[in-house]
Amino acid sequence: MEKQLRYVGLALSILFGVIVFVFFGYCYPYHLAYQEQFQLFLFTPAYLAETASVPGGPAGYIARFLTQFYYVPWQGAAIIALLLAALQRLLLCLSRAFGDKPALFPLSFIPSLFYWILLCNEHYMLAGVVALIIVLMAARLYVSIGAKALRVILLFPALSLLYWFSGGACLVMALLCIFWEIRKRAYGRWQIAGLTMGCLLLTVSLSLLAKALLVQYPLSKLWTGAGYYRFQTIFPSTLLLLWVMVSILPVLFRYLPIASKAKTAWTGTGIMIAALTLITWQGVSETSDWQKEEVMAYDYHARRQQWGHIIRMAGEKAPSTPLSVALLNLSLCKQGRMADDMFRYFQNGPEGLLPSFVRDFTMPMMAGEVYYHLGFINTAQRFAFEAMEAIPDYQKSARAIKRLAETNLINGEYAVTRKYLQILRHTLYYSKWAVQTLALLEDEGKIDFNPEWHTLRTCRTHTHFLFSEQEKSQMLGILLQQNLTNRMAYEYLMAYCLLTKDLQHFYTYYPLGKEIAYRQIPVSYQEALIYLWGLSNNNPATIPYPVSNEVKRRVQEYGKIYTTCQHSEPMLRPQYADTYWYYLHFRK
Amino acid sequence: MKHTILLSFSLLSLLSLTACKETISPSPVIKNVVPAIFPDYTGVTVPSSIAPLNFKVMEDYDKIDVIIKGNQSGAIHIQDKNYAKIPPKAWSRLLNENKEGTLEVTVSVKQSGEWIQYASFPIHISPYPIDYGLAYRLIAPGYEVYGKMGIYQRNLSNFTQTALIENTLMPGTCINCHSFCAGNPERMSLHLRYEYGATILTNGRETALYNTKTAQTFSPCVYPYWHPSGKYIAYSVNRTQQVFHEAKGERVEVIDLQSDVVIYNVEANELFSCPQLKSENTFETYPSFSPDGYTLYFCSTESKLLPEEYDKLQYSLCSIPFDPMSGTFGTEVDTLINAREVNKSISHPRPSYDGKYLMYAWADYGNFLIWHREADLCLYDLQTGRRRELTEVNSPDADSYHSWTANSRWFVFGSRRIDGLYTRPYIASIDEQGRVSKPFLVPQEDPSYYETSLYSFNVPEFITGPVKINVREIEEKALSKKRIQMGYKTP
Repeated sequence: MEKQLRYVGLALSILFGVIVFVFFGYCYPYHLAYQEQFQLFLFTPAYLAETASVPGGPAGYIARFLTQFYYVPWQGAAIIALLLAALQRLLLCLSRAFGDKPALFPLSFIPSLFYWILLCNEHYMLAGVVALIIVLMAARLYVSIGAKALRVILLFPALSLLYWFSGGACLVMALLCIFWEIRKRAYGRWQIAGLTMGCLLLTVSLSLLAKALLVQYPLSKLWTGAGYYRFQTIFPSTLLLLWVMVSILPVLFRYLPIASKAKTAWTGTGIMIAALTLITWQGVSETSDWQKEEVMAYDYHARRQQWGHIIRMAGEKAPSTPLSVALLNLSLCKQGRMADDMFRYFQNGPEGLLPSFVRDFTMPMMAGEVYYHLGFINTAQRFAFEAMEAIPDYQKSARAIKRLAETNLINGEYAVTRKYLQILRHTLYYSKWAVQTLALLEDEGKIDFNPEWHTLRTCRTHTHFLFSEQEKSQMLGILLQQNLTNRMAYEYLMAYCLLTKDLQHFYTYYPLGKEIAYRQIPVSYQEALIYLWGLSNNNPATIPYPVSNEVKRRVQEYGKIYTTCQHSEPMLRPQYADTYWYYLHFRK
Repeated sequence: MKHTILLSFSLLSLLSLTACKETISPSPVIKNVVPAIFPDYTGVTVPSSIAPLNFKVMEDYDKIDVIIKGNQSGAIHIQDKNYAKIPPKAWSRLLNENKEGTLEVTVSVKQSGEWIQYASFPIHISPYPIDYGLAYRLIAPGYEVYGKMGIYQRNLSNFTQTALIENTLMPGTCINCHSFCAGNPERMSLHLRYEYGATILTNGRETALYNTKTAQTFSPCVYPYWHPSGKYIAYSVNRTQQVFHEAKGERVEVIDLQSDVVIYNVEANELFSCPQLKSENTFETYPSFSPDGYTLYFCSTESKLLPEEYDKLQYSLCSIPFDPMSGTFGTEVDTLINAREVNKSISHPRPSYDGKYLMYAWADYGNFLIWHREADLCLYDLQTGRRRELTEVNSPDADSYHSWTANSRWFVFGSRRIDGLYTRPYIASIDEQGRVSKPFLVPQEDPSYYETSLYSFNVPEFITGPVKINVREIEEKALSKKRIQMGYKTP
């Protein structure tokens, strides 16, 4: 039976790894891509020295090294799966040393399952998992030492080393070692008490020593170590709970009774597996933020300029947050469909077109894409810089550095572009682009040969003005005025007027579009024009613009319902939610 | 016998000079041009205590070979794969042996198996000593948001940089405006902003944290300058706004919507001012005391409609008599340089401690000139009233914040000349006749540091010795949020 249980245990470890891989790789991949962009892992000795010089730094360094592979989400999923499976196997291995009870193997999954749940929150960093794995490896090594004196002699330097490698997680090692000595009964009660005191004193002293050496960090941070959670002032109690769990679980293998009958043992194991599966299911469901995943998905595809993909996503499920709507509108515009189709999708006002700046690390990074593609190069640059500086754990961002290089290159600031490119040369995923771009620097011909940079250089503003959150339409107007064929600027200007329900300015700016040479007036403009015409004329058919018969028919039907029914919104929604009139009347 | 010893000694020296080094003779390709090196140390004047001027040639190469010969005695021969890494002890000895003399630097590089030798260039060694080091803030040159930052001190005799205070200690805190009383490291003023907001004042014995916002001032104290006696600190109070340019070539404009100048009486713990420094219709900022303590310099401009007329703000250089005994001001404000006449805007007036000069920065408009490419340094002769642009040190990019050494023979300033964005500290000397030398970039152990660092050197200030502050005491006091309230004395 024991052999069978071991095989089942191994099979479940593999199955667990596969499930985690599938979850992060295919259900939750955009959280991984999101993680990758908020770090700048450099293959330089200076970066290693800077990262590894604090308690927990080496674990953080390894975690950051691994996190860079999240650039390709399935790689990130594979890394998480391997790490969580390794954590489980290590704990099982250690637990077996405490008490070889194969029927209890499901308990060894608890920390890995718990960490799976935690990692659904994008602010939990991989460093926590790496730190625990290092600690468990050290503990396994410790219990494998037969000579009791050697164990204790090695314990204190090992704890010191572990404190540097894994930060506060070394507490787990201390507890496991004490439990091991109790389990082995190699020492008497007073000796165990002395060992416990020694471990506690050492842990406290290490933090105090670290504070003396690293005076610029608060003691609380040196207690816990760096890099487990993105926000530096917070140490989640869930991590402390996890550490306690990892320390106690091996002991349970020693003291928990198991059924002697095979059938009962199998039943017990089965119940444990079922319970853990249910709890994990519940935990993952509750901590997974699918709305964030959706926004991150929009951002992921916008970053890679996969406009069609974004539109398809919106077709399957309408976006609702301002950021995702803004990225959808950008995609529609890039595909030449915004003026016709934007009201086919949910619109939530001007914030869903040109989001305002927020002092945050996420929003400016994503919203910067809109400003970049519109030709507001300085604003895109500012948003990238601000997003990078707002990263709570003081890391830099490879994505932001790349955007800074691009915007400075477009602005002709080659010296600072070179600086950013030289930095990106030391990365894994941005190095190739950096090397290729370095070769183009200061060669205007080659730079202009790049269609994206050429377009942005052409359409960017050449007029001096200050960015103003309150005067976005004027800013779009300036962009358009210097190049009346700038279709994006025109459509954003018109969309801004429509979304702010400023039909007066819409009407004023509308004629500027004659240079764009539309084959026919875009549908949303037809709808706005016929609405305006209807305000002063009873017969829409007399409108002096080439509005389609379909639009004329629909406005008449819409108008009939809107004017005759007191609560017309539910009646209009099924057929007219895709019209500008519906947005005008019913969207706040 | 004597000759034999000398000959043996010379041979040994030569051997040690060339030991383990590849020989570049017999026939290197000679290029009769001075090499393009980074940092550019060709023809600079340095103090004899400066750290090694490590540099690299701005070309790809397999090896670099550098011979540095003193015109009086001594030589250093180095070879490296990456950059000219000068041994600190030998460098220090060479500088001391050749004080007031010149070093001749010969650079060769090995490219594709062939040695290329460039024309030698000089490095002049000044007779004037320089202060112990620099204090500066390292911060990413961003906009409204900031990440990691801190105030650091750097020993100019070696490469040691230590943090005085970093915001890792109190996450979210902005640390700014460090200022020392004539470079005295014991007397420092420093601001913390936001959650743990305070002004830290040290006097060598104790450290105290103040709340500088009073009912009579519209903001906490901002830009500081110590009175030479250490009894007063002049501060500006500013209501500041940032606006952002959309056209290329410009990035940020920092505008004062309102600003006044106040004086802090350290012993009485009270601020005071006068109507000339607190006018409704004018903005006064960047105060500084004359070295005798009897004059207060400041910049002033008429208020405008802001932010719309941001580019019409031009600050004049003004002064007002100050009596340190009574803590009172004269009645007349003297305009030393009228902004309208020169069509420029002046900021950061800093008199030399010998009372001869006043250095300032100017640009086309505004007062936060590090964001102005056209910003340059100028020198105002306090004896003759003559002014001139410091063409010897200025660059096409922003050259702005500056500070004098205690002996007034050196000044440090921030310049964005390397890449147009990241501010780097440059040092230049000025002799008794007012001749200014070519500035040199503060050396780093690895010369690539400046190319890869994402931090600007903000407000470089000379310090005459190492700053010793008790970080744990500051942390404790800052976290306690207990502050000493500054008073305000109304006339």
